[in-house]
Amino acid sequence: MSEPGGPREPGGPTAAEVEPRRRLHPLTPLLRGGRLAVLAVVAISWQGYQNLGTQRWLLAVGAVAVLVLAGSVVSWLVTGYHVVGRELRIYEGLIWRRTRAIPLERLQSVELVRGVLARLFGLAELRLEVVGASKTEAPLAYLPVDEATALRERLLALARSRRTPAPDVAESGVAGTGVARTGAAGSVVAEPPERVIHTIANRDLVISQLLRPQWWAVPLAIGAPIYFFASEAELNFIAVASMLTAVIGAVQAPVRAILGDWRFTIGLASDGLRVRRGLLETRSQTVPPGRIQSVGVQWPLLWRGHGWVRAQMHVAGVSGGDGNEQRAGLLPVGTVPTAERVIAEALPGFALTSVVVHPVPRRARWLVPLRRRVLGHQLTDTAFVTRDGLLTRRLVIVPYGRIQSVRVRQGPLQRQLRVASVWADTAGGGLEAVALHRDVAEAKALAADLADRSRAARSRAAHPNPSAHPTIASI
Amino acid sequence: MAIAPYPGRVTVFTIWPDDVQWRRVSPKLFFIELLSYLTGLAVVAGICWAVWLIFEFGPALFVAAAVAVLTLLRLAFLPRSLRSWGYAERADDLLVRHGLLYRRLSIVPYGRMQFVDVTAGPIERLFGLATVQLHTAAAATDAKIPGLPPQEAARLRDRLAALGEARAEGL
Repeated sequence: MSEPGGPREPGGPTAAEVEPRRRLHPLTPLLRGGRLAVLAVVAISWQGYQNLGTQRWLLAVGAVAVLVLAGSVVSWLVTGYHVVGRELRIYEGLIWRRTRAIPLERLQSVELVRGVLARLFGLAELRLEVVGASKTEAPLAYLPVDEATALRERLLALARSRRTPAPDVAESGVAGTGVARTGAAGSVVAEPPERVIHTIANRDLVISQLLRPQWWAVPLAIGAPIYFFASEAELNFIAVASMLTAVIGAVQAPVRAILGDWRFTIGLASDGLRVRRGLLETRSQTVPPGRIQSVGVQWPLLWRGHGWVRAQMHVAGVSGGDGNEQRAGLLPVGTVPTAERVIAEALPGFALTSVVVHPVPRRARWLVPLRRRVLGHQLTDTAFVTRDGLLTRRLVIVPYGRIQSVRVRQGPLQRQLRVASVWADTAGGGLEAVALHRDVAEAKALAADLADRSRAARSRAAHPNPSAHPTIASI
Repeated sequence: MAIAPYPGRVTVFTIWPDDVQWRRVSPKLFFIELLSYLTGLAVVAGICWAVWLIFEFGPALFVAAAVAVLTLLRLAFLPRSLRSWGYAERADDLLVRHGLLYRRLSIVPYGRMQFVDVTAGPIERLFGLATVQLHTAAAATDAKIPGLPPQEAARLRDRLAALGEARAEGL
């Protein structure tokens, strides 16, 4: 395999350490180009078909397909990646050349995504998440499955090496040993043993998604055209079509959740939390320890009969985009004890059922007449917890070590009532952890306390003491 | 320069760290704000006037008048509003406060700092002032200090950068 083009970086590791640049799988252009080609064909199809006639239309479609495919092949030829020291470097582009170096100690999450087509061909896409941009920084699509898995283990191993107690030694030593131990990306690093924490029964998943309010739109959408038909005897095609579109739009969220969270399994390995899920497109996400910025727990009204809750985790850099709540799922559905068990693994030392929030002062009822009894916050040993939401009860949990800054805000009405709100900001646009409408004196104490606890948690993380914090050391 | 507590109602500012020595921003910030408000008003008035001239759309003038009244109201409170700006460098974190109607206070630990911006727009440069803004990994962090003399801005920037480096903890 010849090397794709691209400049050699001066000042990098010596030639002996640099492993050869690797290419993506040869089927990549077909899979990626295929998607583009379909889009192009759809764009020119109907209008073009009528104007051009069958033969010339086929010719045009063929030309577009060839062009797209050629483009994909060129892009495949110039795309390459390799691991240099503790960086992953990705090279791409023919005219606008780009080399992206990703320091692995900054890795927030790694996801192995296998679409339907990719599964047919035994391929996988590897998505690395780093803080910074709004989308996945380093999608490696497509790699053979075993290679993708091996690369993931290797990247996670390199990322983990940061956590060794002596960073100065690790700086020089780990890069060398890492390469020596693992060789090329294709060779195998043993996947660390994984302990399954919880598997969601597909039956529960389907029931829980059927209990979402989106389905209420269905009878309305079916009934309305029938009513029109019966009364006016004149079925408007456009009305029916738009109604159908509306129904599909409404129910696509639960349907996608069922497809996306099928066979949801969460486990814990030494390199972090592992989440596997998906019916058609399977995903396997690994979040290294300490990367969870906040955890949200929701208790929708319709789920209360079953005693079910939903938990999400927020990892910096993992953007919303396609179905954000699915992407960050920690537990799509489960009972409270299950949620407690899962969250205790995600945030060591946190017990969900021990949460007893402090209510807001009675005078806050002028600001939040209905939610006053719901609002509250608590400072547990490890995290800041806030509660909100009348129908869907929402709990936001922010570990002290993840707090970036603390804000206090007081509006004109709040000033009259001598209350103020306190925010704890986390990285990467996670959930908003806010203690609304606290008494001013309490708000002050809370803000000071949050700042102190966050500082204490951070200095503990910087100078870990295994005996004092066995939970942190064990993962 | 300590700021006298606000008389009357209990606010976040009056009770917040009593031992903290708040530093004020430059009084020249008033002229900057004044100029930018007046510029904004002139632009809106100009557009409304043009709309009235070209389309003979009468309500455009009312819009301009309403904006003018609101701007004047805002300007009346501007001196007090600017006096509410304050910042304090504590041992481990930076405190920034501002706001008259909505009182805001930010506590940003130095170790959480990702980068510092020093910016100076054309009007700010005219008066020889600059704005320092501290960024953390959280987009919601609100730590902007306007109206600093250049040497104070540079001092603050260097100090924040040094402290941030000494206490860096990343995410």
